[in-house]
Amino acid sequence: MIEFDRVSRRYGDQYALRNLNLAIDQGEMAFLTGHSGAGKSTVLKLLLLLDRPSGGEIRVNGDRITGLGGGAVARYRRRFGAVFQDHRLLFDRSVHDNVALPLEIAGFSPRDITRRVRAALDKVGLLGSERADPASLSGGEQQRIGIARAVVARPEFLIADEPTGNLDPQLSSEIMALFEAFNQVGVTVLIATHDMPLICRLRHRIITLSSGSVVAGDPT
Amino acid sequence: MRAPSLRITTLLRGWSMWQTQHQAAAGSSWRKLKARPLATFLTWLLVALSLGLPASLLLTLNNLSAVTAHFERPPQFSLLLTEATDLNGAVQLKQTLERWPGIASVELIPKEEALTQFSALTGLDALLDSLSRNPLPHTLLVASRNGASDAESASLMQRLKGIEGVARVVLDTLWMTRLEEGLRVASRWVLALGAMMLLATVLALGNTLRLTVIAREDEILVVRLIGGSMAYARRPFLYTGLWYGLGGGVLGAVILWLFCGWLAGPVNALFVLYESQQRLQWPGMHYPLALLGVAVFLSWSTSWLACERHLRQLERH
Repeated sequence: MIEFDRVSRRYGDQYALRNLNLAIDQGEMAFLTGHSGAGKSTVLKLLLLLDRPSGGEIRVNGDRITGLGGGAVARYRRRFGAVFQDHRLLFDRSVHDNVALPLEIAGFSPRDITRRVRAALDKVGLLGSERADPASLSGGEQQRIGIARAVVARPEFLIADEPTGNLDPQLSSEIMALFEAFNQVGVTVLIATHDMPLICRLRHRIITLSSGSVVAGDPT
Repeated sequence: MRAPSLRITTLLRGWSMWQTQHQAAAGSSWRKLKARPLATFLTWLLVALSLGLPASLLLTLNNLSAVTAHFERPPQFSLLLTEATDLNGAVQLKQTLERWPGIASVELIPKEEALTQFSALTGLDALLDSLSRNPLPHTLLVASRNGASDAESASLMQRLKGIEGVARVVLDTLWMTRLEEGLRVASRWVLALGAMMLLATVLALGNTLRLTVIAREDEILVVRLIGGSMAYARRPFLYTGLWYGLGGGVLGAVILWLFCGWLAGPVNALFVLYESQQRLQWPGMHYPLALLGVAVFLSWSTSWLACERHLRQLERH
């Protein structure tokens, strides 16, 4: 369960978020939408502790996360799988090694790592590209490597920031289908996107932000 | 009693996880260095030379100190008598001085003998022949007893100066004292130079490592983003520092040995010419080990500093 309780984030005089209230249930899949500058990315950044709120409180499974620091931040982030529009892959290593990174951080043995990486790549349909250089793959394939990396360590939460931003409608649908598949096995999924035609076809809650506040889709 | 065995299992799992992560970090940073052999070798050379130079100077200094230690002997005074003192007076003075406590022996060098020795040593016969009279005085060589302290030697010198018929007293060990002082100056110079070279190494290495960290900023950001701790992000760079130190230390030790090998021939020939039993001191084991230790410590701590500073900056953005 993710809860934002009157959360504000101010940059100088500008409010990116203003008294935002938001709740995502355990096992839910929800979309976060709105114009650019509405605060979608800020919500995800605060949730990953890449930024801190100017006011209010964020709770994850009832625990206040805004006070976390040092090693606790790293441990907290391991509960999340994150997917980005620009993929954030490392081009100096193979597809396998990119996907293996969260497992290495979590301290899995090399044998377990190989097994889990292959399983994750199989799910996103890239098992044949294990040894490939990610730079040699297409945008859609790179995004799928990013997704495999996000889910390989079986996180509680999967969050994505414009995961279909650069992809054609066909590929976008495939990517969304992947997220739905992970949600069906119990992962809480939150996706920031402005691809309205795509998400309107899917039956999930759509939370609309405008000027840093929720204007639609929040039941609270 | 499940709790203790559970704790041991947890500990064992933690240990194997720690081992796996360190092996991975050490391996990946070694492969990155191996991929750029010339740059890596140049960095090793930088560490090797900046530590090898002070080490070789220190070794030279130790060799010199060992040589001067063999020069230990009681101070000897040369008493140059006044022109008015004739040979008889000189013989009498010799006999008087031989009875003084603190004096081991007195040797008289009559002025004629001194002139013959001088002309034989310098080969200036023609010049000396042209002189109307012998310009040299009679000389007494006075050896003090063994184990005389500097203060005792100084007081003996004062008393010798006060004797009627003595024009000048020259302390022959003055050059020894000068040499010892000179060596002390040299050792401080070596220490200061060494400290400066170490500082230069830290700065140059710091810059190299800083550039390494900057080049891998994306990696650090991604690692932090997906839950890697600061220690995890720092680890590959610490291993890079460790490899730089180990490589540089080994290369420095090799350079020190080559330096000694190159010097040993002429230096030992010089010892033989001076009829000395002394031979060049080799670096042995403690020099290379100390060099390796200093190199590893410096590179590792420099990479820690470079990394820490940069990681904190990245964290803030």
